[in-house]
Formats: sequence, structure tokens, C-alpha cells
Amino acid sequence: MSETSIELAGKGGQLDKGGKPQDFVRNEVVPRRHPGRWVAVALILVICIQAAHGVATNPNFHWATYAEHLFSPFVLRGVGWTLLLTVIAMAIAIPLALALVIMRDSGNPILGGVAWFWVWFFRGTPVYTQLAFWGLFAVLFPRISLAVPFGPELFSIDSRLIVTPAVAAIVGLSFNESAYLAEIFRAGFRAIDRGQTEAAQAIGMSQAKIWRRILIPQAMRTIIPPTGNETIGMLKMTSLVLAVPFTLDLMFATNAIANRTYLPVPLLLVAATWYLAITSLLMVGQYYLERHFGRGHDVIAVKGGPR
Amino acid sequence: MHGIPLKPTVELQAVHKFYGDFHALCGVDLTIGKGEVCVAIGPSGSGKSTLLRCINQLEIVSAGRISLNGELQGYREIDGRLHQLSARQIAEQRRRTGMVFQRFNLFPHMTALQNVTEGPVHVKGRPSKLAKEEGNALLERVGLGGLGNRYPNQLSGGQQQRVAIARALAMDPEVMLFDEPTSALDPELVGEVLDVIKDLARAGMTMMLVTHEIGFAREVADHLVFMDNGAIVESGRPQEVLSNPGEARTRAFLSKVF
Repeated sequence: MSETSIELAGKGGQLDKGGKPQDFVRNEVVPRRHPGRWVAVALILVICIQAAHGVATNPNFHWATYAEHLFSPFVLRGVGWTLLLTVIAMAIAIPLALALVIMRDSGNPILGGVAWFWVWFFRGTPVYTQLAFWGLFAVLFPRISLAVPFGPELFSIDSRLIVTPAVAAIVGLSFNESAYLAEIFRAGFRAIDRGQTEAAQAIGMSQAKIWRRILIPQAMRTIIPPTGNETIGMLKMTSLVLAVPFTLDLMFATNAIANRTYLPVPLLLVAATWYLAITSLLMVGQYYLERHFGRGHDVIAVKGGPR
Repeated sequence: MHGIPLKPTVELQAVHKFYGDFHALCGVDLTIGKGEVCVAIGPSGSGKSTLLRCINQLEIVSAGRISLNGELQGYREIDGRLHQLSARQIAEQRRRTGMVFQRFNLFPHMTALQNVTEGPVHVKGRPSKLAKEEGNALLERVGLGGLGNRYPNQLSGGQQQRVAIARALAMDPEVMLFDEPTSALDPELVGEVLDVIKDLARAGMTMMLVTHEIGFAREVADHLVFMDNGAIVESGRPQEVLSNPGEARTRAFLSKVF
């Protein structure tokens, strides 16, 4: 370890903000050296290059097959469906979860009870089972009809036309996810100081406006990181739509090719590559969302500010 | 304005408040006239803040009535029975009182100006261009001209509290309520907030303040009440209450704070 040495530089003759000459000299500091880090970097580099070389030259990985299928139309269609399922399921789950939290907090015992039951049920049963049930919906209820209770039927339709495999997959994933998100959101809203609601009430805001203008924007800051987590989890959870069965997603596509070619390893790598790529894309989106909702918190406090 | 009977703005009759078994307010009667400054002092837990919070219905009274310019707060009285108002009607009543909190409670995700214009634009539906002009004028009035674009965490405590006062004034309230507005401030910042409140008093704003600043109370109050154990123990002109307290409890309290 090198020693930190401090030298005095000659008078700077700089001007401060007010234009007055500074009567002090900034310390000229030689920063601490970290030779240990360079050793570590060199070590890690050697290990990485060796590992990469080992994997790249290992014939068991079948890189030619990997390259052949990475952009095959069959795989790309799977990527598209997986992305679509993730986005639609989250787009349904997020407002649903928000509604559940507002219901739970409404002070209305009926709404609160329904929200509690929803979370209890969808969080308490395996998503695979839920997906299988949604897949069997048309078998369990062949026709969906609108009728006066215990009276005449007004309208009726074949269930298979409504609950298609894609719909079953989306409903199954989003309902399950809404239960988890509801708990994340609830934690986010609880973290907001009670004084925020009181201040909003004091200027005469309605409860709906308090949610929209005061609570939701503030909760976003704490809600976004775990929701990003859930979105990435959802991306991978889409592989369970096999239970419906829905057969167009990425995992099903790569498995199908693997079963045909008897080469599981390169196709697992194809799937992993795409999941990683989509996750990276989602992380970029999350960065911008966090930056937007961090306003008023992440700004650097100016001189004379509190703390 | 002392001594002249004033048209009451706020009227409390036999107000009681329970939190479970705890009797926080025990039959408070109080009248605040138009343009009058009423200051409540007293030990912690004596019910001063609760009283203030009852006036704008952040707390619901357990018994008694509160009216603002003759209008009963929180209820409609039909044939001697009280009927609860809807949340919307209560929100409408709250627009007529301005509240300033001990902990400022500014909206941290909004700039100072947005905090001030939030009520006029999103509650009263005022055009945002107009509200901005008025908001800037209000910030100017509390001595914060040019700081409208700062977020609350870029302002000092005293500046934040002055934004909070401007936010309450923006709703053009009939009465301003201050709940220990300087208790969370560093000593050197207290003066700037008290100056703003004094200006408001001079401008004839009807106000009720809860404070521990006895000197300030003496200076600004038309009417001083001393509270203890949820009741008004002593009430009158500040000089009388402070210099010549009639009750032993008042004397004991004043001897501790002076």
C-alpha cells in the first residue's frame, strides 16, 4: 500500500462565487492506490478467458446448432409471444393490484373483504394449478351465459370462443401476479407519511384525487424496483403456460426443437440468451421509470437546505 | 378590535373527543370572531392540537358541535338529529379552512410552486396559468419569490413552512389553523415563519394557532386560551392571562416556560 501524501500547492489565486479572491489553498491530495484491485482484475480476467475458451471449444455445447436456431422464425415467434404474454399480463396485473389495494384501504368492509379473499386465494394456490384450471375452463363451463338469477337466460356463448389458450394463459398469469403486486403496493403506500394524506385533505381534496395526485406518485418510487423484479419473474413464469396448454412461448419452442434434434443444451442456451436479452431491455425501461418518479427525492440538496 | 363583539367565524359548543377510553377534549366552548387571532397554549397532551384538528375535521368530534360562519361542520341537522355528510361534502367544507402542520407536510414530489397551485388547480379547477401567477404572488408574499422551482428537500425548514402557509392561503380560506408551526424548526428559522404569521394577522386573517412561543402569543393574539387536560382552563386577552393568571395550573405552566 502506498502512503497518502498531501502537498501544499502554490496560492491558487482563484475567485469564489461571489468574485472575492479566495484566501485559502485547496489541498492537493494524491489519491490512495489500490494495487490489490489490479491483481484481482488480472486474476478474474485469466479465469474468465479460460472459462470462455473452455466453453467455446467444448463440442458438447454444439455452437453450430445454437447459431442455427438463435434467430430461427420458430424461436423468434416464441420470443414475441413470451414478451407479449409478459407485457399483457403485467398490464392487467398492475391496475388490478392497485384496485385491490384501494379496495382494502377504502374502509368499506365488503370491498376490503373481497380484496383480502382475492389475495389469499391467488397467492395461496400454485400458479401452475391455476393455469391448468383456466385451461380447463371450457371443459368445466362449456357455455358462458348471462341470465336473470334462477330466471330466463338472456345471452349465451361457447366458452371456447372466449377462453382461448392465450386468454387462459394471460388471465392465469395476471390474476396470480395481481395478488403478489397488491402486497408490494400496499407496502409502498404504507411507507408514505400519514401527514401527506392529511395535508391533501386539508386543502379539500377528494379521496380519489388524493390517491391519484399525492399517494400513487409518491409510492411509485418505492414500488418500481420490486415491480421490476416481478416483471422479470413474470418473463420466466410465462414458461409455465405449458400447463394451459399454450404452446407458442419461447420455452415451449426451444424445447420442441430440442426434442426433435435430441440436442437440449444448445437450445437451452438459445432460450437463456433471449431471456437475458429481454431482461436487459426491461432493466433499461426500469431505469428511466425510477429516474422519473425519483424527482424531489434524488435531487441533490442545495446549500442551506435541511440536513 | 378588542372588546368589540365580533361576528363569529368559528364556533365550538361543548366539544368532546374520545380516543378509545381517553378523554382528549372535555367540553370545549370557544368562539373565534372574524379577523380575530386566537392562540392556544398549554402543556403537551392538553388537547390543543386535537382541538385544531377537529375544526377542519381531521378528527371527528365525539360530542358537541363546530360551525364555521354559521354552517355546522360534518353533519346536517334535520329535526334535531345529526346526519353524517358525505366524504365529498366534508371535502368541500375543508376547502374553507387552511391548515399548517408542525411537520410542514409538503408534497415532496412537487416543486414549491406546484405545492401551492395543487389546491387551486386540482380542487377548485382554476386555470393553471392563472393559478401559477397567483401562486408566485403568494410565494413572493411569504418571502420566497424566485424559489418556486425548488423541491421541498432543496429548501430549509423555515422556507418549507412558508411554502406550506402559501399552500393553505392559495385556497383563500375563511380561517387559518396553525398546529405548532415552529416546533420542528431550528431556533434561527423560527422568526421568519412568525413574521409571515404576523403579517397575516395584520392583514385581518382569522386565525387559530397552537404554539409554545409564549412571547409570540402575547404579541399576536387577540384572544389567548390556556388548555390543560382537554379543557380550556383560562381564556382572555393575552396580557391578562399571561401577567395575571387566575388559575394555579396556568401559573404553574407559565413559571416553567418563562
